[in-house]
Amino acid sequence: MKLADLQLSSRDRAVVARVTGEIDLSNAGYLERTLLEATPNDTISLVLDLSELDYLDSAGIQIIYRIRESLRSRGQILALVIPSTSPANAALRLAGVDRHVDAVETIDDALRGSA
Amino acid sequence: MLSPAAADLASSQQIRTLYRLNDPALSELGLEDLPGDLLVLLRDALSVDTAAILLLDPETDQLVARAAKGIEEEVEQGVRIPIGLGFAGRIAAERVAIFIADVDHADILNPILREKGIQSLLGVPLIVEGDLIGVLHVGSLKPRVFTARDAAMLQSAAARAAPGIEGARLLSALEHEHGVAMLLQRSLLPKRLVDAVGVSAASRYVPASDEVGGDWYDLFELPGGRLGVAIGDVVGHGVRAAAFMGQLRTALRAYALEGHGPARTLELVDHYVQTMPDFSMATAAYAVLDPETGALAVASSGHLPAIIVGHGEARLVSFPVEPPLGAVACGSGEDYETRLAIGETLFFYTDGLVERRGVPLTDSIDELLQIVAPAASAEEVCRLAIEQLALEELPDDVAIVALQNCEIPADLHLRMPANPGALASVRRILRRWLRHLGAGDDDTTEITLAVSEACANAVEHAYSPAPAEFEVRASESDGEVTIVVRDTGRWRASRHRDRGRGLKIINAAMDAVEVSSAAAGTEVVMRRGIHR
Repeated sequence: MKLADLQLSSRDRAVVARVTGEIDLSNAGYLERTLLEATPNDTISLVLDLSELDYLDSAGIQIIYRIRESLRSRGQILALVIPSTSPANAALRLAGVDRHVDAVETIDDALRGSA
Repeated sequence: MLSPAAADLASSQQIRTLYRLNDPALSELGLEDLPGDLLVLLRDALSVDTAAILLLDPETDQLVARAAKGIEEEVEQGVRIPIGLGFAGRIAAERVAIFIADVDHADILNPILREKGIQSLLGVPLIVEGDLIGVLHVGSLKPRVFTARDAAMLQSAAARAAPGIEGARLLSALEHEHGVAMLLQRSLLPKRLVDAVGVSAASRYVPASDEVGGDWYDLFELPGGRLGVAIGDVVGHGVRAAAFMGQLRTALRAYALEGHGPARTLELVDHYVQTMPDFSMATAAYAVLDPETGALAVASSGHLPAIIVGHGEARLVSFPVEPPLGAVACGSGEDYETRLAIGETLFFYTDGLVERRGVPLTDSIDELLQIVAPAASAEEVCRLAIEQLALEELPDDVAIVALQNCEIPADLHLRMPANPGALASVRRILRRWLRHLGAGDDDTTEITLAVSEACANAVEHAYSPAPAEFEVRASESDGEVTIVVRDTGRWRASRHRDRGRGLKIINAAMDAVEVSSAAAGTEVVMRRGIHR
């Protein structure tokens, strides 16, 4: 019943992070730190699965960019799973960034793309 | 040696002292007032330097200095003398008067008497109805002989004062414990109930006529705008029960805020109770209400069934009941899922509300259902429930808490604290309001996103010496909703986060947006037509 729940798993050399619930100004910063800590240096990519997320706001969009930047400086990749019909995609669309964030529809797509 | 004249004088003074010891007012004095009266009388009458009362602490079998005149340090330092040892200890053990003409310091346990150079001592036991309650003694800095008449005088004073001392002691212990327990109980109950739109809450705590118990309730907002409501009852009374209650309430709230559902929360509280050294048994029930949908999840550890009141009727919530907390180590039960419809009130109570001598519990619960059925609000449920109680002879304490799922008003007006945690609450209320208007999924999603962005902006640039707030007003006319978000700060284009993106979302989601900034604050007016 927290605002958001985070489930972490490992696949190949990727960390898969599935966030459910809502991401807003109140928990975005915490989520950013947690996700970066959860991605060890020897992994190739972080797959952030927002397909079951109920709400994403501009603070959440902001951390997507920041996480991508932080990982890039460590030589790692952020892969986003945001289906086009999801509430998270509605936020990306309204913010005008849905075509810039390189999101894919499924986790498998993400793993194929980042492997 | 006393001269005959002095002896006569002492004797007449002693008679007056005895007379004054008969004053019934003496037995009404609390222990704090005794030194000023009884002990001063004795000290003057017997021409001694100190007079003191030590009372028996039955739990430790020690005498504790409780009142002194002359050498007050005895009380201040809380001198304790074991029964049977030293001067006072022997008086208590043998229940005889003891006179020590020239103090053998080895025999005196009380370090203060030794330090102060007391030479001669006379002491008598304080006995009430055959029970030793303490020792009364006097002492002199100069070596002196206490005569048989002095001893008789002291014994007589002890006999007359003992019942009063005992009464004062019991009264003060009772008052002290009652006061402490009451304070504890009061300080542990929530000061303020949640003030959320779409719900209203009320509660009462009534102590039993003679002492407080371990009844409690709690009501708090969970992340995401859900509400947690809890009730519990610790077996037993007094300070211990009240203190244990406080631990339980805190544990439950902590687990609940971690995001656990009712059954899991109670299971964790039970684990916690099992680890406590000498825990009492307790019952508790916990419910989580989602005001957006009316979904209600309930679980109970041995607690009485909750009641749902609404539309002139009252019914029991027939949730499965797990064993009480601390009874047996048991597995997790399941949440009982039900709904609290708009206008309905969830009512939790403790057994003090329904337990009556000679009346089966099921009968008095049926009676309670009838009593609260007409209530139209949470406050009214509590009022009706308490009104039927005989408060002046309440055998057990009573805690009640009521939470109503209210009608969402046609015109919404929210005042929220300017912190990020308020955003989820605003979204929940707004979604509920929009659904009530018949708005579709897309309208609801996009309007909610825009309004939450405007509120996030208000939160981020809130600055005010007083606790900052922001306001949300929403209304609808001819299929168009108008939502106004106002704060007391200045609009800032960007600070830590990309507010520009937030504004972009607001503009994209709404048909019309006006931002006006003035010294008093910033106002964002947003409009959008909805498709039903």
